[in-house]
Amino acid sequence: MTAPLSLDRLRGDVAEVLAEEPGSFADDDNLIDRGLDSIRLMSLATRWREAGYEAGYLELAQEPTVKAWWNLLGSEESK
Amino acid sequence: MSPVVENADVVVVGGGPGGSTVSTLLAKRGHRVVLLEKETFPRYQIGESLLPSTVHGIGRLLGVTEELENAKFMVKRGGSFRWGTNPVPWNFLFAVAPELSGPTSYAYQVERMKFDEILLRNAARNGVDVRENSAVTTVLDDDERVRGVRYTDPEGVEREIQATFVVDASGNRSRVHQHVRGERIYSDFFKNIALFGYFEGGKRLPAPDSGNILCAAFDEGWMWYIPLSETLTSVGAVISREHAAKLQGDQEEALLGFVARCAIVKDFLSDATRVREGTYGELRTRKDYSYTNSSFHRPGMVLVGDAACFIDPVFSTGVHLSTYAGLLAARSINSVLAGDIAEDRAFEEFEGRYRREYRVFYEFLSAFYDMQSNEDSYFWKARKVTNLNATDMEAFVTLVGGVHSGEQALTQSFQESSGALADAVERTGSMQTESGERMHHLFGTPVVREVMTEMNNIQVRGVQGAEAVEAPLLENGLVPAADGLSWTEPKK
Repeated sequence: MTAPLSLDRLRGDVAEVLAEEPGSFADDDNLIDRGLDSIRLMSLATRWREAGYEAGYLELAQEPTVKAWWNLLGSEESK
Repeated sequence: MSPVVENADVVVVGGGPGGSTVSTLLAKRGHRVVLLEKETFPRYQIGESLLPSTVHGIGRLLGVTEELENAKFMVKRGGSFRWGTNPVPWNFLFAVAPELSGPTSYAYQVERMKFDEILLRNAARNGVDVRENSAVTTVLDDDERVRGVRYTDPEGVEREIQATFVVDASGNRSRVHQHVRGERIYSDFFKNIALFGYFEGGKRLPAPDSGNILCAAFDEGWMWYIPLSETLTSVGAVISREHAAKLQGDQEEALLGFVARCAIVKDFLSDATRVREGTYGELRTRKDYSYTNSSFHRPGMVLVGDAACFIDPVFSTGVHLSTYAGLLAARSINSVLAGDIAEDRAFEEFEGRYRREYRVFYEFLSAFYDMQSNEDSYFWKARKVTNLNATDMEAFVTLVGGVHSGEQALTQSFQESSGALADAVERTGSMQTESGERMHHLFGTPVVREVMTEMNNIQVRGVQGAEAVEAPLLENGLVPAADGLSWTEPKK
C-alpha cells in the first residue's frame, strides 16, 4: 500500500519527477519553469491517484505549484 | 504437390503499422516471427494524420523515435475544425496549454509510403523475418484453434507456416479476418465514402498551426486538408454513400465540385494545382464505413487494425487504433508464450481494451457529428443523435460490444456528450485567440477524458518505461509488465 500523502511527500514526488533536489524549489514556484511537462504531470497524477487522491491531470495543470496542489489534495484528505 | 512447411511462434499477415508494431514487440521478447506482406514496400496508403500516442508512446516502444524525427515529417500540434456553429475554425490541440510542452503536445502528418516503411524495416532489424510480395492464400485451422497459414512466395511457390498464433493485420479488404468466425457489423450511421487526391501549392493555416489537419464541414459532408510538406497537401471529401454514383463518373469534376462548395478549402486551394503524375497523381476512393467485427480473436488467432474495426477518419484514428491493437496483441501473445497468463484471460484483456478504445472514439464521433447543423442537409440530418432509432441503438450496442443500458438511457447519454462537447467548443472559441490555445474546457468533457485515458497511459509508458505506474483499466483486468510488452496480474 502506498504511504499517505503529506506535504513532504508531495514535495519529494515533485522533486523526483523533475530530477531536482527536494528544497531546491519553493512551494509557490511555477513548476513549468522547473521543467514540468505533460508526461511528468500525468505520471504525478497517476501516482497520487494510486495513493487514493483523485488528482486529475487537468486540475493539476490549472495551477502548477506545490502550494496549489497541496490545497487541492490536502482538502480532499479532510473530506 | 505438398507445400514447403516451416514453423514459427507467430505469423503476422500484413506489414502496415499494426503488423509492424505487433511483430516488433514480439521479436523484442525473442519470439520467432514471420511477417507476410502481399506488396513490396514502399507502397501507397491513406491515413496520413497521426496522434501523439503513436509517435511518442508506440514509437518509443518500437525504438523509431529518432528515425521519425530525421524523416522531417510535418509537425502537427492538433486539429483545426471549421465545424459546428463557429464560422471561424477552432483548435483541438494536443497540449492542454501552450506553456505545458513535452512529447504529448505534437504528432506528425506522414506520407504513409515513408512512415510504413520505417516501421517495417525496423521490424526486420529487430529480428522479424519480413517477407514481401508474399500473399496469404489459406488460413489453417481445426475445431480447436488456428494453426498457421499458406502463402505464395515471390517465385510463385506455395509455402506453409505452422504457428502458435496468427495475427491478421491485413487491412479492410482482405478476407483473412473471417477465420475468427465472427461477422463484420457496420454502423448505419457512419456509412461514409471518401474521394481524395493531392495538390501542390495550397495555402497553410497561420503558424504555429500550419502543420495542423484542417477538417471543414460543408452541406454534403466534410473535407480533410492535410499538409504533408511545405507544398504538398492531401485533400479528401468524406460524403454519404448515397453519392457513390457520382464517384463512378468524372472523379476530377466530382472532387473539384466538393472543393468549390466548401468555402475554406476552396480558398486554400485557389492558387493550387492538382498533382497529376506519379503516386499522388491518382484520384482514389475508399469506403470509410465504420465497422467492427463481432469477435476480435479465437484460439490461435487475433485481429489487429482495419481487419478488426475502423472508425470514421475525422479524428485521425486509423493508425492509432492499429498500432494500439498491435501493442495489445503483442502483450497478450507474449504473456501466453511465456506461460504467464492463460490464453483466454490474456485475450479477454486484449479485446476488452480494444473495444473500449473503439467505443470511446465512437461516442466522441457521434457527439462530434451531432454538433454540426446544416438545416437542409441530408448528410448532417441523418447523423443527428436525436435521429437515432431503436435499430441504430441496437446496432451501436452490438458494434461496441457493450452492455445495453436501455435505448432511452443511451440516447440521453449521447445527447449529454454532444451538449457538453458543443459547450466546451464554444467556451474554447476560435483558433489563434488566447482562449482558443487552452484546452481545459475540451479536455474536461467526459467524452474527451475517456478518449485520452489510454493514449496518455501509452505515452507515459513510452517515455518513462519501467517507472510508469498503471492501474488496471478494466474491472478485474490485467496491467502491463514493467517493460510494457506483456501483461501481469495487478499487485493487491
